[in-house]
Amino acid sequence: MTLDPRITGRFEYGQDQQVEGMLHARILRSPHAHAKVLSINTSEVPQHVVTLTRDDVADLEPLYGPMVKDQPIVARDRVLHVGDAVAAVAAGTPREAEEAIALIEVEYEEMPAVFDPVDATGDAAPLLHDGIEIPAELRPDGRNMCHRFRLQSGLGQDGFERADVVVEDTFAVAAAAHVAMEPHATLAYWEAGRLHVITGTQTPFNVRRDLAALFRLSEEMIRIVVAPMGGSFGAKTFMRLEPVAAALARKARRPVRAVLTRAEEFITINRHPARFHIRLGATRDGTFVAKSVDAWWNTGAYADCGPSVCTKGGYAAIGPYRIPNVNVDSRCVYTHLPPAGAFRGYAATQGVWASERMTDLMADRLGIDPLTLRLRNLLRNGDSFATGEVMHDARFADCLRKAAEAVDWGGGRKNKGLAVMLKGMQTPSRTGVALEINAGGHIVLRSATTDMGQRPETAQRNLAAEALGLSPDLVTVGSNDTDLVPFDTRTTSSRSTFMMSNAIREAANDLRRKIAQRFEVAPEDLVLSDEGAGVAGSPDLRRPLTDLTGLRGDGTFVTPGGLDPDTGQGIASSHWHQAAASAEVSVDPETGVTSITRLHTAVYAGSVVDRPGAELQNEGSTIFGIGTARFEGIVFEDGQVTNGNLSDYEIPSILDVPDFTYDLLEGGEHSHGLGEMAVPVVPAAIGNAVAAAGHPVRNLPITAESVLDASLVR
Amino acid sequence: MEEPDWHSPATIEEAVALKARLGDTATFLAGGTFTAILVANGLIRPHAFIHLARVPGLDRIEIGDDLRLGAMVTHRRVEGSSEIRQSSWASVANCFAQVASPRIRNQATVGGVLCDADYASDPPTLLVALGARVRLRSPSGEREVMLSDFIQGHYETALGADELLVDLVVPRPPRHVTYVKFRSRSSEDRPCVGVAVAAEVDGARRCQSLRVVVGAVSGRPQEFPRACAIALGDRITIEVATEIGHQYSELASTLSDMRGSAAYRKRLIAVLVRRSLETLAA
Repeated sequence: MTLDPRITGRFEYGQDQQVEGMLHARILRSPHAHAKVLSINTSEVPQHVVTLTRDDVADLEPLYGPMVKDQPIVARDRVLHVGDAVAAVAAGTPREAEEAIALIEVEYEEMPAVFDPVDATGDAAPLLHDGIEIPAELRPDGRNMCHRFRLQSGLGQDGFERADVVVEDTFAVAAAAHVAMEPHATLAYWEAGRLHVITGTQTPFNVRRDLAALFRLSEEMIRIVVAPMGGSFGAKTFMRLEPVAAALARKARRPVRAVLTRAEEFITINRHPARFHIRLGATRDGTFVAKSVDAWWNTGAYADCGPSVCTKGGYAAIGPYRIPNVNVDSRCVYTHLPPAGAFRGYAATQGVWASERMTDLMADRLGIDPLTLRLRNLLRNGDSFATGEVMHDARFADCLRKAAEAVDWGGGRKNKGLAVMLKGMQTPSRTGVALEINAGGHIVLRSATTDMGQRPETAQRNLAAEALGLSPDLVTVGSNDTDLVPFDTRTTSSRSTFMMSNAIREAANDLRRKIAQRFEVAPEDLVLSDEGAGVAGSPDLRRPLTDLTGLRGDGTFVTPGGLDPDTGQGIASSHWHQAAASAEVSVDPETGVTSITRLHTAVYAGSVVDRPGAELQNEGSTIFGIGTARFEGIVFEDGQVTNGNLSDYEIPSILDVPDFTYDLLEGGEHSHGLGEMAVPVVPAAIGNAVAAAGHPVRNLPITAESVLDASLVR
Repeated sequence: MEEPDWHSPATIEEAVALKARLGDTATFLAGGTFTAILVANGLIRPHAFIHLARVPGLDRIEIGDDLRLGAMVTHRRVEGSSEIRQSSWASVANCFAQVASPRIRNQATVGGVLCDADYASDPPTLLVALGARVRLRSPSGEREVMLSDFIQGHYETALGADELLVDLVVPRPPRHVTYVKFRSRSSEDRPCVGVAVAAEVDGARRCQSLRVVVGAVSGRPQEFPRACAIALGDRITIEVATEIGHQYSELASTLSDMRGSAAYRKRLIAVLVRRSLETLAA
């Protein structure tokens, strides 16, 4: 029996990649949240250690970033957050590199810093970025703001005049750390002017494009090989270590590997802290008539994908409801905190928390059962969402009913809570895939979907095999190398199974067409099986697949769309991620400790392609939600992370995971992504349950202390 | 940066002689769960480690009139010892079993948790309530110190630069002993508050002696004998339990950390002391 190399420890993750003559990188980081870099002195560093400072990258594009070019490889004139890269070294051993950075002397002049997004937009706030170019599709509107997403439908704010009852409240969600088991890891080397990067990334084509811009090269001069990741959860999207590793390798003329420490993870990329003020208006019978969402997203020192987070979180906070008058004002603001970016549950976690707590506050006010209130207002097929999109394949009510049944909602709702959500997928989006017959008569699947532990190859082999009418054993997945795989937007937003299933079907049809051409028959007369290819009705014409070596089918799937940033109208998502959760808790009224007695998630999965994989993803996603609900939160003091280790920042241990149940609802024509559906709904359901127990909490995480502070009866 | 020297003495005498010679530049290393964090974070940079794994006798568990636990006995061994579990000291095993996770308990030692004097620990709180003492050896001899005097504050102990904690001595506990670990976050977390109660009750359930110790709320375990005095000589009632809890809450100094604010800890002390004593009242 061959054991899975992930179990034997032989599996090679990003941090295990190595090549001959490789050096090890370390980064010198700023101790200040905001300071001028007056001087950098590397003269004490031993000669054989390669150093990288601003002078070494002066010939490159000064800044990079996936949405706004605002981040330097190493600091230029100022540092903008505690942990900002100031210089880097590459040495023969990690230890030597560590010692070398301690020998670099940097002279700083501290400057005032700002950590709150509202404060940061004030006239007196220190300006983070001076002279950067904000792309035309973004709408900065005020000091330190990189984007403001607005949506207006119906009468907008004026719609509240039609409400009998209006409730409003403020909600907050803390920053969180991804805590992938494997840290960020990148290996870069140059060969004949071509840059090769072996890196754990969810976004190989973004990294290739952005490295090309940074190093002023054609994209063809850059090759990204995706190393399988020991977890990512959004942390390994867009460029992280790739620029500094490539710049060090360029100077050293040697391969350079960079691997972050656990402490560095906490200052590299986190989940956006966010604050919401929400108003919801309804008629006395519980029909929603107006909603306004006022949101502030703290994106830290660099925008990363913050503008997209503020857009998606802005409309996620509307919820999957039929509301004729909606106003969303969602702002993404720079502060001197470490940057925030993509995080499993992408922006929906924050938006759904605020939105679904608000739905329960309205239910309380109206004296209507929260399930009844939701069902009365949920989007159905044919309804318009606030973006103007007409709903199809709406399963919100099915998900919600399943969740409610699982906690015996009808048997009384004391200590119970529900939540339901709509989450968009990356739109517009494009996926290419190829199916090639190799010399051994196997089908090689060329796909850029990255493996971060979700094992996409199982689902994609199944899809290709089914589309071709072959057994999955005949399909192998080729190397994830930008030299070999067709373009794919990225492996994010639970899009891969959906996009790939469509693209693979196309590629299979294309391959069948090409095989049929060989036989000079119409594709519908082609018979394809594990034994070979043949023609219907003529068994003697059958040929083994090895006779068809080199034939290749290509498939592309594109979803158009996008929202107008000023009105929020357009296509937010080609299809909707839909999920609900229910929870039952018991709260110790004297200590505030919450125990989860029942927890259920109901996720719309479309057609499930890989049942064990789907179940594992939803279980992991649920546990992620429990962590966010109960105690995960990064604490900052003057911009410094004060719990940047796994003793002070806790994630759930196995004993913190209650018995929980779930449904993967099947139906429809498509496969739906489900890798992050439980993350947003679980905290909201738990929060609503804690509120139903007499503690109307408003912030995540729901710490024991915050539960006591929120007690209705003291 | 120099690599620290690594010493593996073969006897206690050799270990303390080394320490006396190297002084504060050397650190004894037992399980390493705490020391490794300090070194990794650059909080200490010892020039030498004196590893105690090869020193014979430090891993003994002895049960007689007292319970004696050698400095190198791991948490897991205390937890899993059927001898301890079946003795009057079962509460000690139960307390060590509540520390962190099995992986940590396999490594962390009795001597380590006492010498680290990290406020957010479980065993010191119970052991102070049980009147435990530590035996310290140096080249010039041996002394015993009450644990309540040994732990002086945040990461500070009475251990001399040339001394080694060789074992922990726990006298036979009274009939009623409890330790309540209150966690505000994960099940593997350190305590937000720990409350130990050690009480002797007579046949009529009258309270003959009572020690209540609260831990993990400030630099060292805290005890207020005067507050306990009202319980003596009679059965403990709910009212008495509530009053002692209230007084502990008032008297204890508390700090704020990731596990809870100082004010939250004050509220919890009242609740947890009362609840601990209520089991005596029942």
